[in-house]
Amino acid sequence: MDATAEQKYDYGVVRWFTVMAAVYLMVGALVGVYIASELAWPFLNFDLEYISFGRLRPLHTNAVIFAYGGCALMATAFYSVQRTCATRLWSNKLAWFTFWGWNLIIVSAVISYPLGLTQGKEYAELEWPIDIAIAVVWLSYMFNFIMTLANRKTSHIYVSNWFFLGMMVMITYLHVVNSLAVPVGMFKSYSIFSGVQDAMIQWWWGHNAVGFYLTAGFLGIMYYFVPKQANRPVYSYRLSVIHFWALMFGYVWLGAHHLQYTALPDWTGSLGAAVSLAMIIPSWGGAVNGMMTLSGAWDKLRTDYVLRFLIMSLAFYAMSTFEGPVMSIKTVNALSHYTDWTVGHVHSGALGWVAMVGIGAIYHLVTKVFHVQLWSAKLVNAHFWTATIGTVVYIVAMWVSGIMQGLMWRAYDEYGTLAYTFAESVEAMHPYYAMRAVGGAIFLLGAVLMVFNILMTVAKASADGSVQAARTAPATA
Amino acid sequence: MSSVLDYFHTDWEAMTATDWVGTILTVVIFLLMVGLYVHVLRPKNRERYESKKYIPVDDEQVNSGEKNGG
Repeated sequence: MDATAEQKYDYGVVRWFTVMAAVYLMVGALVGVYIASELAWPFLNFDLEYISFGRLRPLHTNAVIFAYGGCALMATAFYSVQRTCATRLWSNKLAWFTFWGWNLIIVSAVISYPLGLTQGKEYAELEWPIDIAIAVVWLSYMFNFIMTLANRKTSHIYVSNWFFLGMMVMITYLHVVNSLAVPVGMFKSYSIFSGVQDAMIQWWWGHNAVGFYLTAGFLGIMYYFVPKQANRPVYSYRLSVIHFWALMFGYVWLGAHHLQYTALPDWTGSLGAAVSLAMIIPSWGGAVNGMMTLSGAWDKLRTDYVLRFLIMSLAFYAMSTFEGPVMSIKTVNALSHYTDWTVGHVHSGALGWVAMVGIGAIYHLVTKVFHVQLWSAKLVNAHFWTATIGTVVYIVAMWVSGIMQGLMWRAYDEYGTLAYTFAESVEAMHPYYAMRAVGGAIFLLGAVLMVFNILMTVAKASADGSVQAARTAPATA
Repeated sequence: MSSVLDYFHTDWEAMTATDWVGTILTVVIFLLMVGLYVHVLRPKNRERYESKKYIPVDDEQVNSGEKNGG
């Protein structure tokens, strides 16, 4: 029990963000498995527009990105900034405003998407009043973080905080510009951009939501929680500085690689692809930096199941940051674009990297902020294997399906006629769509195990009175 | 003219003010980044940066007041 930390820092809001992150991962994965099943077995639509794929898909993406990802980022940023700056949050009340505001936004998404209220912009579907609410709550998060950094008792700002801050600044900029719209009613608006400019802004936002929110933010998690869980300093601090600046400089260029072979000028796609390839260097540098933190202590992976999540996430990070640039090359993109290969790539990053590094951090946080051991270490191990196997099954299904799709769409006979109809390619996908649903279900099972384990751990902490004891115990080391 | 030169051909007369601002900013930021890399990787700066990597591992000491994490 760390009574000193409990009394010195604001852990209450961290506790709530941590638990909600685990719950939202389970809910987001559940919706994902359902819509994957709808694609494999369309009768699951039940002819209800509220649960059709088109309406539930944004609910799935928003639940995993903004509900799970947001709560994980807020829990970890608010926790690690206090620990590394040796000071409490600038404003505990503002942090609670962030918590309730963010959760209300999530509730509004749960209501509005099934009702069909959407701007139709990918990963930014929420209508304009909610977009304004997102900007306000996000700024409260960023302002509190910056003011906590300003109040720090240490001379240096540790690199994890740089990554968190970089994410906060860039996401503010990206969200505001991408969401600029003309309201024509309370729940309807139109983007101020049109045509190819709208597409460019959409993917400038879309890829940078990946680059800054799901990569920079989660690298902030990696740079604090991997050394902390391994109880070893990061392999190279200088490499982490280079990783940070290269990532900040490079990522903003990449969006155009989503628009190869479209009305966008050809050079923009080439530029996007060239910088994408260059980004392999800092991405792999960061992944190696994280993994080499265990140099000389690999045996920890045998017994520390939480560390397994963190290190496995780095392997997936390395893999998906290689695959993405390869897919951005025009020759490869001609095959991969609009196919399930893209879906597989996204999920190798989302399940393998984002989910796993967040899960590792959540398990670490639960023990620290509730001042108890996890209820079951065996369940963490079971979760690790279900998450890993589920992710691999999902990705492999989409690789095979995607490449097959691409090949079928471009195949033609000696007369120059397409060899397959589109419907034939859809039929060929069925076994892989079923396999994807199974992979997702295995991953979901792990998420359920995590929520159960965490709730039992919280119940144990409550029964033991460990949080209360930490609050009142004499504050010593 | 080779196809590579064709590819990189630029009509400087057609550059707008926005094009120039973007180009100059990008080149300046790129040069600053290269300068940063040289600075960070200089052997004499090694200890200065690498000493910071102990901050998360030592934050228990920071909390107890035994050591300033900076």
